[in-house]
Amino acid sequence: MLDRTAPDTMPAWGRLLAHVVVWALGLAFLVPFIVVVLNSLRTAQEIAQTSMIGWPESWAFPNYAEAWSQFCVAQNCTGLQPFMWNSAAVTIPATIVSTLLGAVAGYAISLWRFRGDTWIFGLVVLGIFLPQQVRLIPWTFVLRDIGLINTLAGLVLIHTIQGLSFTTLFCRNYYLSIPQDLMKAARIDGAGFFRTFFRIVLPLSPPILIVTVIWQFTHIWNEFLYGVTFTTGSQQPVTAALIGLNAAIADVPQYGVQSAAVVLAALPTLLVYLFGGKYFLRGLTAGAVK
Amino acid sequence: MASIRRRSVLAGAVGLMAAPLAARAQAAKPRLTVISQWSAGSDGAAITALGKKFEERGGVWQHSPVPGFTTDMMNKLRAQIIAGDPPACSQLKGPEIAAWSKIAPTVNLDAIVAAAGYEKVVAPDLARLHKPGGKWSALPLQVYRTNTLFLSKRAMDKAKADKIPTTWAQFNELAEKMKAAGVAHPVANGGTRADDGQKFEAVLAGLNPAVYRKAIMELDEKALGGPEVRAAFAQLRKIADWMDPNTAAQHFSVFLPRFVAGEMGMLIQGGWAQGVLLNGGFKLDDFIIAPGPTENGKPVFVLNADAFIFWQSKQADLQAGQKLMAELVMMPENQTMYSQITGSIPVRTDVDLSGAGWSAGQVEAARTLKEAVAVNQSVLSLAHNMAQENGMTAAMIDVLTEFVKNKAITPDQAVKRLVEAVASAR
Amino acid sequence: MRRAPELLVIWGPLLLAAAHIVVFTAWTVWISFTASTLMPVSEFVGLRNYSSVLATRNWKIAFDNLIVFGGGFVAFTMFTGLLLAILIDQRIRGENVLRSIFLYPMAVSFVVTGVVWSWLLNPGMGVQKLVNDLGWAGFRFDWITDREMAIWTIVLAGVWQAAGFAMALLLAGLRSVEPDLIKAAQIDGAGPLRMYTRVILPTLWPIMVAVLVILLQMAITTFDLVRALTGGGPGIATQLPALVVYDFMFQRGQIGRGAAAAVLMFLTLLGVLLPHALFKYARRRRAADA
Repeated sequence: MLDRTAPDTMPAWGRLLAHVVVWALGLAFLVPFIVVVLNSLRTAQEIAQTSMIGWPESWAFPNYAEAWSQFCVAQNCTGLQPFMWNSAAVTIPATIVSTLLGAVAGYAISLWRFRGDTWIFGLVVLGIFLPQQVRLIPWTFVLRDIGLINTLAGLVLIHTIQGLSFTTLFCRNYYLSIPQDLMKAARIDGAGFFRTFFRIVLPLSPPILIVTVIWQFTHIWNEFLYGVTFTTGSQQPVTAALIGLNAAIADVPQYGVQSAAVVLAALPTLLVYLFGGKYFLRGLTAGAVK
Repeated sequence: MASIRRRSVLAGAVGLMAAPLAARAQAAKPRLTVISQWSAGSDGAAITALGKKFEERGGVWQHSPVPGFTTDMMNKLRAQIIAGDPPACSQLKGPEIAAWSKIAPTVNLDAIVAAAGYEKVVAPDLARLHKPGGKWSALPLQVYRTNTLFLSKRAMDKAKADKIPTTWAQFNELAEKMKAAGVAHPVANGGTRADDGQKFEAVLAGLNPAVYRKAIMELDEKALGGPEVRAAFAQLRKIADWMDPNTAAQHFSVFLPRFVAGEMGMLIQGGWAQGVLLNGGFKLDDFIIAPGPTENGKPVFVLNADAFIFWQSKQADLQAGQKLMAELVMMPENQTMYSQITGSIPVRTDVDLSGAGWSAGQVEAARTLKEAVAVNQSVLSLAHNMAQENGMTAAMIDVLTEFVKNKAITPDQAVKRLVEAVASAR
Repeated sequence: MRRAPELLVIWGPLLLAAAHIVVFTAWTVWISFTASTLMPVSEFVGLRNYSSVLATRNWKIAFDNLIVFGGGFVAFTMFTGLLLAILIDQRIRGENVLRSIFLYPMAVSFVVTGVVWSWLLNPGMGVQKLVNDLGWAGFRFDWITDREMAIWTIVLAGVWQAAGFAMALLLAGLRSVEPDLIKAAQIDGAGPLRMYTRVILPTLWPIMVAVLVILLQMAITTFDLVRALTGGGPGIATQLPALVVYDFMFQRGQIGRGAAAAVLMFLTLLGVLLPHALFKYARRRRAADA
């Protein structure tokens, strides 16, 4: 498998045009983030007095300190920090488990094959269309019956099971492009289900695993509805703390500190992209497809 | 699924007979589990202060704020009720109190309320909301007026106006004067649903509070389709035309800089806007606060109040906590403390606001409340879910916000739509 | 030969996922026929909830918007994602940075970036104001206040959020194309266009389908985006089905009607997916018979 598919015969102007277009789009994509970062360095008063979008007059770096450890949610003035740990405690396990299970399931469905595989695949993938809202009340009953309401474990369970729909879809469609010859060769060599998975399929998987991990991590990390309904008080995930900074109709929006909090809360997901990106580039063992 | 049926039948039956607090509640150390959406800002500070008072009396205060919109808090409440573990008290307001009290059993506070002689000092409309089935199950915490008029000093100066409008006709005159004098947008409101609803209710209640009561609070079809409502829409159209067309869905605080600078003239908002202006760094002499315009010379007060509902619990310490909380919430000192922090006015009409810590706006609002109650012109806010349950409110506000945002809808069409919306949402 | 641990690992998670989807969907359908308001109850009311929902302007507008938004969002995101993937694949320098730039919109919670977009798209505060201030006084970009055009602001923000992810998946697909196929085509003298259409796109097809499915899912369940950007407005001009479901179920305390709206959503979705599934099934049968 290649690092790139583009043929080497690309005219110089074509390459220049490609650069220009991509970087221009990139800049456009960055604008909202730039606005948030700039706002994170302005004081709420300055924002209230001038405009939502603007260059900082004075650099309110303390916004970050306040966002991290000082702002208050009712009596608890601990800032964002404890909520970040809660989010991590839910997101990391749920992401890892759902990705692994999805990879195995995707492999089983696309490469190993078994009776009823297309049906179960269709059914599981159909689940991605089920909107969050209609799942809320049923999950309440389920969590109550297994005793996991108001626990982080309950959230992990929800996100893992729901995540399977996406992870299976991603992995199965990616694995379809792995040639059957590899599978045949493995079978001839006497490798079983698990050996084939670990020796052949997994090494070919990094690009899709990265994509899957990114999807799961961001969706679980940024999830709000279940996080707020099924946890309480200091257990809540970081999304709940962020919303706490949102304005009700009767208050001054704390946009300065909120923007700083948003940046801090987004750091883990941004780091996942940066780290995952490098792995992505490294590609795969070049010799696998010989 | 059979458990749901059993549960709902049981809850329905029990809800009809809210049980009084047990006597053994006296002995246990009071504890209170509270759910509200007041996690930040002045509301958060006020509830925290109330919690301190609770702890000073020896109680254990366990407040779990649910950040987000009110809906998220209701989802949490629902989840707790389904789990069989409702909080001892939770934030709820308006007709929702009656609706939710049918789902799970509530505490009967009649004895405590009678002992404090509370009912005499609460506006009757307000009291009624907190006594579903005739028994007190909830207690109001603070009152806001939604039809408050804020005027920009600088815009007034530009228009060389010095008279505060007291009727809608005068309001219109002032707006025209401001426009002519170069104030780009005489009305500074925001573009959210609640904001659009507020403007309408301020207009209708100001034009004719009796019709407001019949149409909006009692949903009388004739009143809803009548000429007064049509006139209200016509006035609302004028107001919408005086607003910046770019309000979209923005919070009103976004326009405050321009309001104070005199580019926008008037704001029809709840009393909380004073706090928002001051917290935004503006000064008291940047603006003037006045009661909303009324046609018949007598004060009209469109009321919005927050409250706590008390859910039945078998645990003695929670029962003791509820008793303590109820007592605290009814005390004039605590209502004073609460309202001074949030900028609202106390529920009790007998609180003396002459001391320090009250702004002129609050004093005036409290006085207006008393006077409006005396002439039966204190009505419940539609936009803030006091007049109707959430479902009906949302259906009506759909019509109102569409009207404000879509110039092509005529007042006649709007009236027709309003009647239809009410009919289909019943 | 299938062995027990294998079967458990294959079927266990898949069955759990499928079970939760089936049960929750069935629950939603059941509830839609009951008089549930604040709590689910079992009083049967026939089709009353459905006629009530269908009669509201909210649903009519939401349905129309779904077609416009769904079509626009899927088409433009796929196009942008493919364009970006192909461009980045051209040995563009700074790939790491670019990939992070296009992926980050999915990292930051839309609840907050949605608010930023509402400022950027607001004529008085954002792009229009900037361009006007820079000298081009006649420039108009006030879609967000225009009842007809507001839905396109949601498309715009949606494309911003999802294009990077489409790009990542498509890039993964591009890089999984077999080098032998490319070399063979190059030997045959195929130019870049033929390379793409004859060799690369066919291999890319399963991934493109996965992307399409994900985009469709995002279009149907779009909620945070609309709530943060326009609140469903101006008025109710940008209502979408997911918003209507949430609105009825939770804000209005009418769970039965919310469930009915959700079922109507499923039916709409089936209307899109069923023909596709039947088509695939028919094609496979024809291929098998041939």
